[in-house]
Amino acid sequence: MRILVVGDGKVGHVLAEQLTQEAHDVVVIDEDEQVLQRTEDTLDVLCVRGNGANAKTLMNAGAAKADIIITATHSDEVNMLCCLIAKRLGTKYAIARIRDPEYNESLNILQQELGIDMAVNPDRGTAVEIGRLLRFPFATGIESFAKGRVEMVEFRAHEEDAIVNMPVHDINRKLRGIPQVLYAAVERDGDVHIPNGDFVILPGDKVHVSADMVTITAYFRYLGRDNMRIRNVLILGGSRTSFYLAKMIIPMGIHVSIMEIDEKKAEFLSELLPEANIICGDGTDQEMLEQEGLQNMDAFIALSNRDEENLMTGLFASRQGVPKVVVKNNHVSYLDLINDLGLDSIISPKTITCSNILRYVRARVNGGGTKVEKLYRLMNGKAEALEFIARLNDPYIGVPLRDLHIRPHTLVAVIVRRGKVFVPFGNDHIEAGDNVVIIACEAGISDLNEVIRR
Amino acid sequence: MNYKLVIHNLGAILLLEAATMVPSLAISLLYGDGAWFSFVLTIGLLVLVALPAWKLVHPEEKNLRAREGFLTVSLCWVLMSIFGAMPFVFSGVLPGVADAFFETVSGFTTTGSTVLPSFEGQPRSIMFWRSFTHWLGGMGVLVLSLIFLPRISGRTAHLVRAESAGPTLSKIVPRMSDTAKILYVVYGALSLLLFVCLLLTGLSPFDAAIHTFGTAGTGGFSNYAMSVGQMNNVAAEIVMTVFMIVFSTNMAMYFRIIRGEWRDALKSEELRWFLSIVAVFMVLVTLTIWPEYGSLATALRHGTFQVASIISTSGFATVDFNLWAPAAQLLLLLLMFVGACVGSTGGGPKVGRIALMVKAARREVHHTFQPRKVQVLRFEGRGVDDSMISQIAMFLVIYVGMMLLGAMLISLDGVHDLKTNLTAAITCVSNVGPGFGAVGPMGNFAGYSVFSKLVLSVLMLAGRLEIYPILVLFSPVIWRRN
Repeated sequence: MRILVVGDGKVGHVLAEQLTQEAHDVVVIDEDEQVLQRTEDTLDVLCVRGNGANAKTLMNAGAAKADIIITATHSDEVNMLCCLIAKRLGTKYAIARIRDPEYNESLNILQQELGIDMAVNPDRGTAVEIGRLLRFPFATGIESFAKGRVEMVEFRAHEEDAIVNMPVHDINRKLRGIPQVLYAAVERDGDVHIPNGDFVILPGDKVHVSADMVTITAYFRYLGRDNMRIRNVLILGGSRTSFYLAKMIIPMGIHVSIMEIDEKKAEFLSELLPEANIICGDGTDQEMLEQEGLQNMDAFIALSNRDEENLMTGLFASRQGVPKVVVKNNHVSYLDLINDLGLDSIISPKTITCSNILRYVRARVNGGGTKVEKLYRLMNGKAEALEFIARLNDPYIGVPLRDLHIRPHTLVAVIVRRGKVFVPFGNDHIEAGDNVVIIACEAGISDLNEVIRR
Repeated sequence: MNYKLVIHNLGAILLLEAATMVPSLAISLLYGDGAWFSFVLTIGLLVLVALPAWKLVHPEEKNLRAREGFLTVSLCWVLMSIFGAMPFVFSGVLPGVADAFFETVSGFTTTGSTVLPSFEGQPRSIMFWRSFTHWLGGMGVLVLSLIFLPRISGRTAHLVRAESAGPTLSKIVPRMSDTAKILYVVYGALSLLLFVCLLLTGLSPFDAAIHTFGTAGTGGFSNYAMSVGQMNNVAAEIVMTVFMIVFSTNMAMYFRIIRGEWRDALKSEELRWFLSIVAVFMVLVTLTIWPEYGSLATALRHGTFQVASIISTSGFATVDFNLWAPAAQLLLLLLMFVGACVGSTGGGPKVGRIALMVKAARREVHHTFQPRKVQVLRFEGRGVDDSMISQIAMFLVIYVGMMLLGAMLISLDGVHDLKTNLTAAITCVSNVGPGFGAVGPMGNFAGYSVFSKLVLSVLMLAGRLEIYPILVLFSPVIWRRN
């Protein structure tokens, strides 16, 4: 598909990179020559200099024949205007990043009148993601694929977990009654392993298991991880994300405290969120945090504007024994460093915005080109989940998986058959028409026959 | 420096070069000229060297940075020329290694300077290969490799930018491999059209092919000692004049015309500059040489052809312009400092650069009268950054500097006079072909020493790759281990 990306900022660049890798033709529009130069050097995209809200620029970029326009400039108004004009010129779908809560209130009218097919709100998206983590505190990260029917949950294995220190194929045999989930990937010292039957999970590993949500919930109950309920939350920073998050979790019966340094902002929040406990003070001040009862909190969420501040206070909270710490961080390059520090739940609004948009784009792809139906990047791009449709004449059809040769470092993770999801084991086989999800460490797999051979 | 990646990519490109020798091999078998073994031997050597490099060297890191891109481009051109020279040596046409290398570099860089002592009775396949290098080098071999090996690297912008003509890269569709495909389709279609036109003027298929390659690549190798003049075919001269102009314009323009955007495509400011320069010089040269020929028609015939030939940096000739009045010679020499358009197959500093420099100079003059006046330079309908202006100015300084340094070095031979040495260096850097004096259109470069031939080869490569990739080869930074 031909996709226009307006605004070559953090989000725009990541989107352009991802979309070219998924074999789309991408045109990037921005006003800044230098930014475009960098993009032209690193990505195989067409760069057009100009204001994306200018019809002539959009025409030059080929808006008349484009399938999707994604607008991610810093201005909501420009984003909306770009979508409106591109739609009039003939672009099929429009996605706009809209930040301002004022616009969000009248979003339905705006979307209808301006022809915006999807409005992305990074702040709210981040809040939703954090809300999910608070609902399932045992998980350090949740990703869903196969149209949301399969979840992949990431958690850190502890010494007392029953699954550690034994080969993966023994887990289901030796532990009676353990719900059957797929051990999709294990992160150890920054490397991703796709476990085979002999792989041994060690304490401290980041384990990714995948199944549908019901099975996952039962699985964590078996591990004894679900006894933790979040009741008290302390949020650092009174940003828009904090506002959305508080609004979302207060009805769940969670008691929310928000610490904000700016007096005006604090007053404003207090007015909007009467149920929340708003504290005006410096959240980086450890004494202040202790005073506000950090030790008694079930969760600490660092959402200030500075990544470094978030990381340091998050670390402090973690050392103080807060069971669940969520930290906002936009620097992808910090991630490997943070891994060593023991902070598990790192949230990146940039990544969340991108994956929300990518999800929408992928839903519009109609198979053309490669045989990959869908592609998901997992664990910050260190692994991929690829979805294929099994074809009638392929040699592996009807043969039990244990009799097939599966390419090393790949895994048949999930089979979706007639809308039903299941995790395949050795006795199962693939039928024609099944959606098969493969998890792989290496990029570039383009055919199911490359993975499974007789 | 990621040497593995560079070696891997070079292996792939050299394999492609082996494939490009197959047509010449076919010609050899077709005419039975006995030179087939030189191609078989060269193809064998290429495969022997390139296949292991491509198949056995696997880079861990596949992202091409600017430095690897530059190194790949420059090494690729040097290696291509070394292997491309082998058929000349094996067949005995040019037994001297330096001669063969010079001739091949001159071919790939679309210069058209020659050291060939005689043209008659040479194997046809060798003459075909000699001209075919023009056609390949015109659009670029790396660009060609992107079509067949689209996944050669994730970041191909560096490769194409280093090889394509002009300061900026003009992509026409989002994918670089698709852009390369379109460029070659346009290039191939126009070449075919030219070939058919030349056949219609009465040229033999072989002559037509040779002159198609020379014209399309704006190279200038002919299979006659007296170049195009020897055929004495006015219709063919007119066809070639038109097509030399066609191939000196931006190839992307023709794609836009086909796509129906001809109004925008023809609005190009560079194109208007180019056509104006061509028109003015055609008139001036014709008027200057009118007295010599006595007839306006003859003056027009030779004037227009020579102007088109020099500005397109082809270097064909219908007459020995060495014998023209000094004023006419100087006009042609000036054209060598202009060159073809950005994104064309031609050489020289490029019209776009010269046009911007003229505009910048005019602004500088205005600035002395009105120091407070703010004036942003505009080109192709948009503002141009001052950093771009200084980049271009610096480019031109180095460009002329290379010419002067080159002329200095080849003067050490002590064989030729000042005019010959100076114009030899200028014509090589500008990729034109003939110069004045002993290296004029009817002369050749055979009189130079081995050292001078190597110097001139470097100048030709530097001119074709627009200086920097070749300078990079001489820079210690690139050879230092990280």
